[in-house]
Amino acid sequence: MPGRALLMDFAVTPTSHRLADYRARGGYDALRKVLGTMKPEQVTKEVAASGILGHGGAAFPAGRKWQVIHLDDGQPHYLCANADEGEPGTFKDRWILEHAPHRLVESMAIAAYALQVRHAFVYIRGEFDLPYRRLQAAVDEAYEAGLLGERILGTDFSMDLVVHRGAGSYVCGEASGLLTSIEGRKGYPRNRPPRLTVKGLYQRPTVVNNVETLSNLSAILAMGADAFRRIGTPKSPGTQLVSISGHVARPGVYEVEFGYPVAKFIHEDCGGVLGGRALKCIVPGGISTKVLTGEEIAEVTYDHASFAKAGSGLGSGGMIVVAEGTCMVRLLQVMVRFYHHESCGQCTPCREGMGWMHRLVDGIVEGRGRPGDLERMELIAMANDGTTICGMGDACGYAVTGILAKYRDEFEHWIAQGRSKFDGRLEIGEPEAALA
Amino acid sequence: MPEIFIDGVAVAAKDGQTVMEAARDAGVYIPGFCWHPQLSVAGNCRLCMVEVEGETGGWMDIACNMPATRGMKVLTNSPRVRERRKVMLEMVLLNHPVDCGVCDKAGECMLQDYHYEHNGAPSVSTVPKVRATKFHDLSSRILLDNERCVLCSRCVRFTREVSRSHALGIVARGDHSLVRCDEKRSLDDDPYSDNVVDICPVGALLSRRFLYKSRVWYLQKTPSVCPGCERGCTIDLWHRKAEWRLNALDARHNTAIERVTPRENPAVNGPWICNKARDLPDLLERARAEGPMLKGRRVAMAEALAAARQLVEAARRPVALVSSWGSNEELAAAHAALAGRFRCHVKADHAPRPGERLADDLLIRPDKNPNGRRARELFGEAPPALEGADLVLAWGEGFDFADVPRGARTILLNAFLAPENGHADAFFATTLQTERAGHYTNFAGTVSAFTPICPAAPHTVDAEAVFAALAVRPRVSA
Repeated sequence: MPGRALLMDFAVTPTSHRLADYRARGGYDALRKVLGTMKPEQVTKEVAASGILGHGGAAFPAGRKWQVIHLDDGQPHYLCANADEGEPGTFKDRWILEHAPHRLVESMAIAAYALQVRHAFVYIRGEFDLPYRRLQAAVDEAYEAGLLGERILGTDFSMDLVVHRGAGSYVCGEASGLLTSIEGRKGYPRNRPPRLTVKGLYQRPTVVNNVETLSNLSAILAMGADAFRRIGTPKSPGTQLVSISGHVARPGVYEVEFGYPVAKFIHEDCGGVLGGRALKCIVPGGISTKVLTGEEIAEVTYDHASFAKAGSGLGSGGMIVVAEGTCMVRLLQVMVRFYHHESCGQCTPCREGMGWMHRLVDGIVEGRGRPGDLERMELIAMANDGTTICGMGDACGYAVTGILAKYRDEFEHWIAQGRSKFDGRLEIGEPEAALA
Repeated sequence: MPEIFIDGVAVAAKDGQTVMEAARDAGVYIPGFCWHPQLSVAGNCRLCMVEVEGETGGWMDIACNMPATRGMKVLTNSPRVRERRKVMLEMVLLNHPVDCGVCDKAGECMLQDYHYEHNGAPSVSTVPKVRATKFHDLSSRILLDNERCVLCSRCVRFTREVSRSHALGIVARGDHSLVRCDEKRSLDDDPYSDNVVDICPVGALLSRRFLYKSRVWYLQKTPSVCPGCERGCTIDLWHRKAEWRLNALDARHNTAIERVTPRENPAVNGPWICNKARDLPDLLERARAEGPMLKGRRVAMAEALAAARQLVEAARRPVALVSSWGSNEELAAAHAALAGRFRCHVKADHAPRPGERLADDLLIRPDKNPNGRRARELFGEAPPALEGADLVLAWGEGFDFADVPRGARTILLNAFLAPENGHADAFFATTLQTERAGHYTNFAGTVSAFTPICPAAPHTVDAEAVFAALAVRPRVSA
């Protein structure tokens, strides 16, 4: 394992996701401790002191988000777990939902207590079947055991947890789009201001956290903020579940301690690039982060500061390994097809730009590329830079400009020659059996 | 009252105002498709991006959703803002068909104006445009051209927030998004539906009434008042400009009302009108009465007036049915001439039509006549009663000869052709609201003016002139 583990600290067995097994591992002790000995403000303080950053992609400090909620404002508050994991290449939340659903349930109860939430929601991606069944079973088990519902563990605290299934949209993974979708409307992201912590679900203060962020809470409260801070790096405490895929020998979900060397992680923990090829680049955290070449990641460690210095970000922890010999034009074609398909159609630059981008790249691949196409793609990226309601327009822009900046010659070659620089099938063998 | 700076000029914004509202109040125009003063903020066109100067460099965001905060320094025309607008219009026009030559909106299209002002360059796109539905029937009144649509969602928000019919929505996503009718609701059931044609910033929503009828630059608008109900909405009647008179082609277009749009008036109707006002041409352009008649025999005006005067002089118990469609001026003339001599009652010229919405909390009022309030102020509330009359003077429509007592003589004033016109002992063809100036007083007492759009039809006479001629001093007992 790459560093210390917080979430993947048990062996997966056919029953390891059940309540009995979870309790045997010390599950729900943190909730008992919180409800029995701590005030809600103390919990928020502990979470803020832990310095945990959001694991959904934006890396916003969870504690700071929580501190915006005023417990005595006389309004109902809501808590939502964002389990609409749709970023291509990312499947880490799925692991939690399938194998440690009780950790999420316990952590949400803790968070609900800290924020004085009566009704909490898990917005789970509609395509997730087993994760949904496992999570719903865990919620049912928790209700039966008195860990959810009225007077939890005999205290005055009550909360309900609703598992809400999405209907298949990338944009519903954006916090405000998610809330709009829960409200039963089309999952359009909302304009800020107002922030969701001021007016969120049903126009009430709402905290939306990623599944992994929330799942860390039970560990934080169990071990204490100071112990948590000793894991990882000072600026990025804790661990990150990394879902690694692509041309890698052992794809799967790994828990990586922040500060772990990326090259070592790929080449040793994950068995290196498939077929023993050289590493061309990685997409570090879902396709919305800029690609990093093999040389660029040589010295990079897995934490936010190091990736920011290298000119990219950790994003959602969905790492895609790209082997030498891969055509970046085709890779980008897949990416922009996704963005075109998933643009919600609200803001002009994203609605029109994603389709234009897709048609431009398709044109290049089909031999209809012309000089100026790359400049047009950069114009679209510029038009989307910071101009859209949610971050989707920017994300596509980053993906495109990131690849264009480093692999422009491949695009120019295809436009000039009408064929890929890397023609032919990439034969690199089958991946080994995945871990866990 | 936060004070903000817009392009260096201090502006006192009201509490809770956005930068967009404060700027428009201060006379600074920030372009935008989706923002509408009467609708909620959608913030989806992204055209109103402005730059805010900050200590750590400027930041950009949309003005329509930016709260005005004290001391904020906003730039609405900086190089960055201009660049953003230009590229945003490039995006808006990317899949727009640019068929202005056959688009009814051309000439009053926001996209046209913005493009000329903020971009002006040919598109840099080389890929084919996205094709979408054209001439989609949203209702029996409204057509939708999805290729022209910029998806600003104004129409959707209108049906949700103003007319509350919830009839429209946006289906699909990305550049396949389409404005469509709700499956269970119909835009035909929305009596305010045609407003979406007005608020559409481009030519996507088209009124069937106005489809291909005229280019807007051939038309001028004349202020008027809708006579459809006692709300008295202020409207603009669009008719052909004098310099574009048609001589060889169908000359009816020269006097016709080509379309009706609301004239914004916060005191009466805000920026909206109902569909009945849009259909005013149906009401006002019916076949007209041809001229003065005596028992169905066409005569000269002077002869008819003399005969009518004799009828009035001979009458012992004359009764007048006053039109609730008369203007304030006509009602005053009628009062001056008839009151004292005639027993006067106010008559409802128009009753609600079958299926017509009677009243709602937006605009529509139950009394379907424009000036009932003023008429009742002058002539009293008593309902029409003709018992014992030996002369009935009936003014306007909604009069039934069956109600006339046996043996009583009749004088009738009506603008429109009707079979009973010939039954009257004396008949006068009166002018229409579109042929004279005047005022209506609405149910709340607000007075609004209308002005003529065309000369009076031949052989018609103002009701005022008839009343002046019939003014007979009360008979002095011998």
